Amino acid sequence: MEPLNLAVIVKLEPDFSEGNVSYKPDGTLNRNETKSTLGPHSGIAAKAAFYAKVRYGAKISVCSMGPPWADIALQQAQQTCDADVLHLYSDRIFAGADTLATAETLKTGIEKMQGKMDIVFSGHRASDGETGQTGPQTAWKLGFTFIGNVISYDVNLEKRTVVAKCLLTLNGVPNVIEEIEAPLPVFLTIDPSYKSNFTTVSQRIAFEKYQKEAYERARNFKQSLKVFNIDELGVDKTLVGLAGSPTIVYQVERIPKGKATRQAEVFDGSNSEHIRKVVAKMREALSAMVIK
Amino acid sequence: MTEENYRHVYVVIEHIDGKILPVSLEMLGEARRLFDDFNARYSSNEKIVAVILGNNIKDFSKELIEYGADAVVCADHPELKDLRNTIHTKVISQIALDKEIASRIEPDYAKEFKKPRYIFFAADSIGRHLSSTVLVELESGLASDINKLVIHDMTVTHQIKTEGKPTLFKKTLEMYRPDFSGFLWTTILCLNNTTPSIKREYYPQGCSIIPGVFEPIKPDPKRSGEIIFYEPKIEENDLKVKVLSHKIVKSEVDFEIRKAVVSFGRGIKDAPDENIKLVVELAKQLDAEIGISLPISKKLLPASQAISSTYMIPARVIGTSGSKISPMLYVAIGISGAMQHIAGMQDSEFVVAINPDENSPIKNECDIFINGRMEDVIPLLVEELKKQQQVVQAG
Repeated sequence: MEPLNLAVIVKLEPDFSEGNVSYKPDGTLNRNETKSTLGPHSGIAAKAAFYAKVRYGAKISVCSMGPPWADIALQQAQQTCDADVLHLYSDRIFAGADTLATAETLKTGIEKMQGKMDIVFSGHRASDGETGQTGPQTAWKLGFTFIGNVISYDVNLEKRTVVAKCLLTLNGVPNVIEEIEAPLPVFLTIDPSYKSNFTTVSQRIAFEKYQKEAYERARNFKQSLKVFNIDELGVDKTLVGLAGSPTIVYQVERIPKGKATRQAEVFDGSNSEHIRKVVAKMREALSAMVIK
Repeated sequence: MTEENYRHVYVVIEHIDGKILPVSLEMLGEARRLFDDFNARYSSNEKIVAVILGNNIKDFSKELIEYGADAVVCADHPELKDLRNTIHTKVISQIALDKEIASRIEPDYAKEFKKPRYIFFAADSIGRHLSSTVLVELESGLASDINKLVIHDMTVTHQIKTEGKPTLFKKTLEMYRPDFSGFLWTTILCLNNTTPSIKREYYPQGCSIIPGVFEPIKPDPKRSGEIIFYEPKIEENDLKVKVLSHKIVKSEVDFEIRKAVVSFGRGIKDAPDENIKLVVELAKQLDAEIGISLPISKKLLPASQAISSTYMIPARVIGTSGSKISPMLYVAIGISGAMQHIAGMQDSEFVVAINPDENSPIKNECDIFINGRMEDVIPLLVEELKKQQQVVQAG
């Protein structure tokens, strides 16, 4: 049986964790003061790929489109999934790309990787752009079966199929979990609630072994790293960056404050008489007979 | 090519377990408002086309017309019973490009019809992915998570698209999306490239719409519309993907059965574990369900595994990207009041906010504003609640 050939798409994102993120006084992100890191959803995608490596054995390649310093995202992902190969697609022409143009770059990169891919993983959505479109759009361009919202999966190496559990969250109706079977190759986007289940002792031993290896590799990540500019990638210049983007960001404005819908009565939180009144009002609100 | 090659708005309808999802009717409602105005302004007769795929779904067509659709394209087929991305993407794209369908929608525009002018999807677990793949197939642009739409003629100057020349783009859909903080609105446009070396026409202008934002219209049983049955072309190879099971799961969080909801936001940040415990204690006293603001669900604040996996989860989010609730009492703790949160709680009967900043927007949305830090205020509230409870019991 052939070992699995896997790719993971990751993204360098602003680090929204407390202490690293900086907001302007008006509540918007201060990008200059905010550090960058491997996006949390990208990290989960890397974790999902690592599961296949431990369970089935796999070669993992991680790729990203971004500025030269996005190599740290690749390094962090390598430490998570023990990747063999890291690819960074970095060129000024790629800048300003919308999801369609980004997908073109990523698709070209993945097709350039060694061997035919069996599974490509990506995160649920980026925490800065938050569109969640890049994964499925790359999948469609690759011609792979797309399965989204994956909370767990397993591969049948003999049949060359994957069975994935997916969580659908919809408004106004209860959530649904679906189990989908598809022949390889597939493209999975990984839900934030994804969990790897290592059940046997041998899996846990493999987990530890690869984790140690991942740590070593990540320390010397530049040995696994290859950076591609647009010519090296060989992608059609008119399909990437701004030229290949149907959409543009036209303007960014503050969302106007809504008119006050209620007239608040202000109470002092350290005044016990005030607290007594507030509690009385809360209890009154709860006991009110509401006729609807 | 001209913009006359592109007509109508196609709205992709979602349904699950025999029910049309509310967001689909909301999208039809917004499309109706936009197009009544559009057709009046441009003296045109462009249509709202509901697109629905499934098995045994013919009965939905009438409902979609009552809710504002001028035409319904219904692909009813046993192999469309389950949602499979590849098959659904191809069938929606077939429908969008079909000239025969276009001629039934509006014969006057049929000859020059190439693609829809606009296409709407829901920004949920289904529509988010379908919109992405369909718009690749149709080779056009897509904006996600939209909560405001405007159509008008715009002159835009863009370094790459228009070679820096001011260029008129007729009937452009302005798509507004709130950013993750809830404080900024980004306007996204899907525009043709007019620069000769990269000339390209991008239609349909696509977007996914946040559920719960727009109002459906009042259904009118007298409305009439064209119902078009479409026989989908399904490729043998795509049938290898199978949905093995489909289970409804009950959420561990239920806002509907409680009279009160207590929510917390980033204001917990100085000591997340301790502060969440305080919130839990207050909720217990009020017999309330616990909600959170969107940023909390991103698990960016350090908290213990137990606390984080119980309370900092997407199922608890109140707002446009979570639940819309209307309890008798809503307590907002350490929540500044971003628009996206307000949209989820503004129908509450009585709102109490605890916040050390009197300038935060939540003050405009509450009946009682308690000025103070949650660390100080919650213990006092809990103590007083216990005291007043005892009085009732003694009495």
